[in-house]
Formats: sequence, C-alpha cells, structure tokens
Amino acid sequence: MTTVQPPPTDRTPLGDWQGIHPLSVWADTAVGAVFIVPTAIIGTVVLVVLGHPWWAVAPLPGALALIAGLTAVDMVILRAISYRVTDERMEMRSGVFAKTYRSVPRERVRSVDVAAPLYTRPFGLCSVTIGTGEQAGSDRLKLQFVTVAQGERLRRELLHRAGAGGPTPEGAETDETTGLELARLDPRWFSYAPATTATLGIGIGAIAALIGANAQSEGWIYRWISEQAGLPSTAEIGSFVMTRALVVVPLSLLTLLVSGAVVLLAVAVETWWDYRLTREGDGTVRLRRGLLTSVSLSVEGRRLNGVTLHEPFVLRAVGGAAVRAVATGLSAGDDEKTQAKSRLSPAMPRARARTLAADLMRTPESPLDPPLTPHPRAALRRRFVRAGWAAVAGLVVAGTLTWLHSLATAAWWEVAHGIEEELNPLPVATYAVESAPAWGWWVLGAAFGAMAFWYAFGSYRALGHGLHPRYLVVRQGMAVRDTVALERSAVIGWRITRSPFQRRVGLASVSATTAAGEGVYTATDVGLGQGLAWAEEAVPDLLTEFLERDTGPGVESGGGRG
Amino acid sequence: MSTDTPRLRPPQHRVDPRAVRWWTTRSLAVTVPLTVIPVVPALIWEPVRPWFLIAAAVIGGLGLLITVVMPRWRYRVHRWEVTDTAVYTSSGWLWQEWRVAPMSRIQTVDTERGPLQRAFGLSSVTVTTASAAGPIEIAGLDHALATRVADRLTETTQAVPGDAT
Repeated sequence: MTTVQPPPTDRTPLGDWQGIHPLSVWADTAVGAVFIVPTAIIGTVVLVVLGHPWWAVAPLPGALALIAGLTAVDMVILRAISYRVTDERMEMRSGVFAKTYRSVPRERVRSVDVAAPLYTRPFGLCSVTIGTGEQAGSDRLKLQFVTVAQGERLRRELLHRAGAGGPTPEGAETDETTGLELARLDPRWFSYAPATTATLGIGIGAIAALIGANAQSEGWIYRWISEQAGLPSTAEIGSFVMTRALVVVPLSLLTLLVSGAVVLLAVAVETWWDYRLTREGDGTVRLRRGLLTSVSLSVEGRRLNGVTLHEPFVLRAVGGAAVRAVATGLSAGDDEKTQAKSRLSPAMPRARARTLAADLMRTPESPLDPPLTPHPRAALRRRFVRAGWAAVAGLVVAGTLTWLHSLATAAWWEVAHGIEEELNPLPVATYAVESAPAWGWWVLGAAFGAMAFWYAFGSYRALGHGLHPRYLVVRQGMAVRDTVALERSAVIGWRITRSPFQRRVGLASVSATTAAGEGVYTATDVGLGQGLAWAEEAVPDLLTEFLERDTGPGVESGGGRG
Repeated sequence: MSTDTPRLRPPQHRVDPRAVRWWTTRSLAVTVPLTVIPVVPALIWEPVRPWFLIAAAVIGGLGLLITVVMPRWRYRVHRWEVTDTAVYTSSGWLWQEWRVAPMSRIQTVDTERGPLQRAFGLSSVTVTTASAAGPIEIAGLDHALATRVADRLTETTQAVPGDAT
C-alpha cells in the first residue's frame, strides 16, 4: 500500500481508497420502487375487485418490505466496493462473501466511458467503465455509481499521464474550453436516420406484432375494433383491396416506411442528442452524446489507431456516411458491441464524414482520399460465379413453385385461405397469389438472379486497397461498405489465407492484424503478388525476408496446388 | 505476372513426420464415431436399414478419404520458421494460411501437449499477439524441439521492449 502523498486539496485525493457514492443505493431503490410499487397497487386493486379485501392488505406492505430488503442488501454490497487510483495502478475491491480484488496498471488504461442514465441524473451520479487493451472482455472495471465530479476526475486523470507524476494535483481545472471541437451535432443529420434497410423491416415488425397479438386473441381484437369502427367484413375489404391493388399496395408500403422512420428517428435523437466530439488538451478524443442516457467516452489519442468510414447501402445511396473508431481498448464482449462502442459520429453527409475522419487522424490529407487500387478481374469472376449459383438456386425455387401452383386445386386454395384467415385479419396474401399468373414465379426468379449479378458487380467495385504515408486503407462491402484506414505502425502481423478457388485463380486474402478495433482488417480477393507487395510496402521489413521474387531460382511452394 | 511480383517463400522447417500419424489418428477419432452412429439404428430397426447403411457408407467413405489425404497434404503445407525478428508459419490443406508476427509484438509463448499429441511425442507452440485474429500455432513439433523453440521465443521477446500493442 505505497500511496503517494498528493498535495493537499479540499477534496479526497484520488490516491486513497474511496467508496461508491451512497446515493447510488437510493438511485437503485428509486428504480426498483418505480416498478414494484405500481405492481403492488394493481395487485391491491385486483384483490379488492375480486372480493378478497383481507388479502388486499398484503401487497403494499410486502412491496415496501421487499424494497427495504433490496436496499439493505444493496447497501452491504456497496460498502464492500472501494477503489483507488495510485501512481501506477487503478485498483478495485468488491464482494461481500467472495472478495475480489482487481488491479489495472494505469498505462494499460485505453478508454474511459462515463454514462449517466436518466434515473441516476437526479442524484448527480454516473457510471464509469474503464477499458484496457486486453482482448478478453473481462479485463474491464466498472464503477456503478460515482458522483459526476468523481467520474469527470477519473476520466481526465486516468488518461492523462503526461507528467507521469501521479494524479494531477490541480484536478479542479475544467477542460471544457481547452478542447478542440471536431464535430457538433447538426440537427439536419437526423434526416439520415431512417436511411437504413431496417426502416421497412421495423415497420413490418410493428405490423407483424399487431397481427401476432390478434392471432393470440383468436381474432377478437380485430373483431372488436371493426365492430366499434363499423368496418366492413374482411371479405369485403379483401375484394376492395384486390380491385384497387395499385392504390392500396403503395399506400401500405408508405405506412410501413413512415412507421419505421418514426421509430428510427426517435432512436437517433435519443442516441445522438447533444453530440460533441472534441480533442482535449492532452490528445484524448472525447465523445459526448445522448438524450436520456448521456454518454461520455474518452479514448487516449495514441490508442486511436485509425478510422472507418461506414456506409450501409441505403445511407450510401442518399450520400451519407458515419465515422467509427479503430481504437485499442474499445473492444467489448463481441463484435457487435465493439462496433456499437466504436461509433464516433451519427450518419452525416459523406463529405463531412471524410473531413471528420481526416481531423481525427490529424493528417492534412485525408487517408480516405487517395484512389484505391482495384482488385484483379478474377475477383469479379468469383463473384459472378457465386451470383450464378444464387440465380440457379432462385430459378429452381421458381420452377418448383410454378409446378406447385399449376398443381394447386380449388381445395388447396381453400385450405390456404383458411390458414391465413386464422393468422391475418386482412387475408389478402393467398388471394393475391391465387389470382396471379403461374409465370409470375419465373419473373420473381429472374429478378432475383438479376439482383444477384448486380450485387456481385457492386461488391467487386467496392474492393480496393491503398497506402497513405501513415495509413493503410482497405475497402469492401456492398450491403455495408467499410473503408478502413489503419495506422501502419499499429499493424502487428500479417495473415494470408487462400481457399482452393483463390489458389486456382491466383488470388489471396491479405489481412493486417492489429490490437485495435476488430483485430483483423482484410484486403479480400487481392492478387497474391499485388497483395504481398502492398503489405510489404505498408510495413517495411516485416514481410520482406519471407518473400521471393519470380526472378530467383525459387523453392517449390509447399503444396500450393490442389 | 511480371517478373518482380513477390511470392511467399515457404517457411524453412517442416513439422515432425510423426505429425502425419497424429493427424491420421485425430481424423479417425472423428470419422469412426460418425460412421457408427447411423449403423446403430440400422441394426435395431429393420425397415430403415438400407437408408442408414447408405448414410454410414457415405460418411465412412468421405471420412476415410479425408483421413488418407488430409494428413499427407497437411505435412506438405505445415511449415514454420523463427528468425531474429519474426515468427513465420504456414498451415492448412484445402484452405491454407500463412502468418507472420514480429517478435516485438508477441505477448505470450506457450507449449501445449494434448493427450493425443503426447502419445506421439509431439507438442504445439502457441504464440499470441494482441490481435483478435487468434494465436499463431505451430502444431506437431517434436517435444524437445518445441521446448527449445518456446524458450528461444521467450528470450527474444523479453529482450525487445514495448507493450506489444
């Protein structure tokens, strides 16, 4: 316990053991009460209505006892938690019966994540998550909850080691003004929020949930609504829809889109409200955002090893893009969480995103700007072959369905209508299929095949790799196009993989491995020689001694044929 | 391709020839149970016998083919090399992989011996870096050699400064 003696301040020095703030127990209690008390009240009312007045006395006192018990337990657990920050380490003790002691060297702290969910804000509390560079997700410390001032202090001091002389004494200084602002929310950016393939899906999901609830109730919800509203019978609506398909189909699609857009817009506003991205005086990049849960994430400057320009298909089509970090210490349990944590910007205009990426990397010329080398035509042929298989599969399915369609008799359709009426209050789908001509399936199959080839071409065009003086750049993806710029000095190895098909046509997938972000960034289906030359140039000396040029005598490659 | 396109040269050393027997045994250990599973219902239940026997034959045939081809193929591909500055390996058979990791980025070096490897006097050397791409593994080395390689790697990595990220 060799604590340093920090200069005396009016506040608890960080070098001493400190507890979690006692108010956090009350925050938990308040949340518990919000859920438990109304339940108890409903229980009381129900018991009274059902004619058990004596039993009705039980729920409320019971609920209060439960809350009191939980609070007491919480308090015991909380008392056991303490943490301290010394010169070298951040330490944390917890556990009532099974004692845990965690200690993280301060030089390994890569990110500090301060979050204040809505229910802790009245108490002036926030949670602090400290990320280290370990790949194992377990090596993270979470303090739940400390005061906002403590959180802010932890955030600043854990990442600030310039002096290496322990906790900075004048911790009271506020950095708000010294930070360089890289980006600030422009409310117009919210218009990009619904530009995802999920928009229609979420709308369909909402409608499907309604239909599902109706089916659960064996249709009485819909019957009740239609009685109240005086709607015509389902058969009448069905025939109405079928006669005016040209009006009704676009209208219902529009409804789906609008409901999806509303949901996504709400999510975007909650996530990105008050978005600010700044570079603090010590090089730390700090992200602040959130309406209900305000989040502050800080990444040490030199741990930010690159950026990703993230362009999902629909967003790309409307000229938008988002910026993500490629940083060490931002990894969470799995890839999806890692990606969620690495978001540095909402969807914004592409040009703005490129500028932001360049600002983040502190390079005069954006690493995303130089033209990328396209991959060999063989990569396109591979994609066309795959599209060909998909098209064949599509046509086989279409043929089978046409055959079934021609077999189907009136009796079959009766059964199908019956099933759909059970599930769907507006049973028009099977009627539509019945009245459609049999060759309609072939049209669908052919359209699917054409789509597959279009997709193949798009995903070939997305492939590219290049070099910037400080960064290597790879780009790929049709459904989601990611352009990744990774610091060349952050590459910690190479991985070259070749499938039998790639070996036959001289292709390879060349991946740079790194501690940052997703860990591997791949130039897919690059020409073997092309990819190796790129890798060699990107990180000089690492690969050189393992390469040979075709001019030399050459050793027989070990089993390079299949 | 032009004359100065680079190619990967294979790493210097092959793995131990006993690895072929190890891979064969490992493959059999998967193939045999998989083949036996459909045979059991075939013996018990008369009506489905032909179908299950056909399934067993297909699985057994494929498994046997893999058991014969895979170990020899792997033996031609699996190679390794440790230089003063890097570790370089190649592995796989149908799908092949080459890995390079510089000494300065190596985090841990382990030797591992599964029960099966031990039966053949073999060991694996596992080299981890900070990347999520997974460790580099040199499987099927002679046990004594594996220990020497691991020792050398540990010595070299300790001599190189840095926190390996």
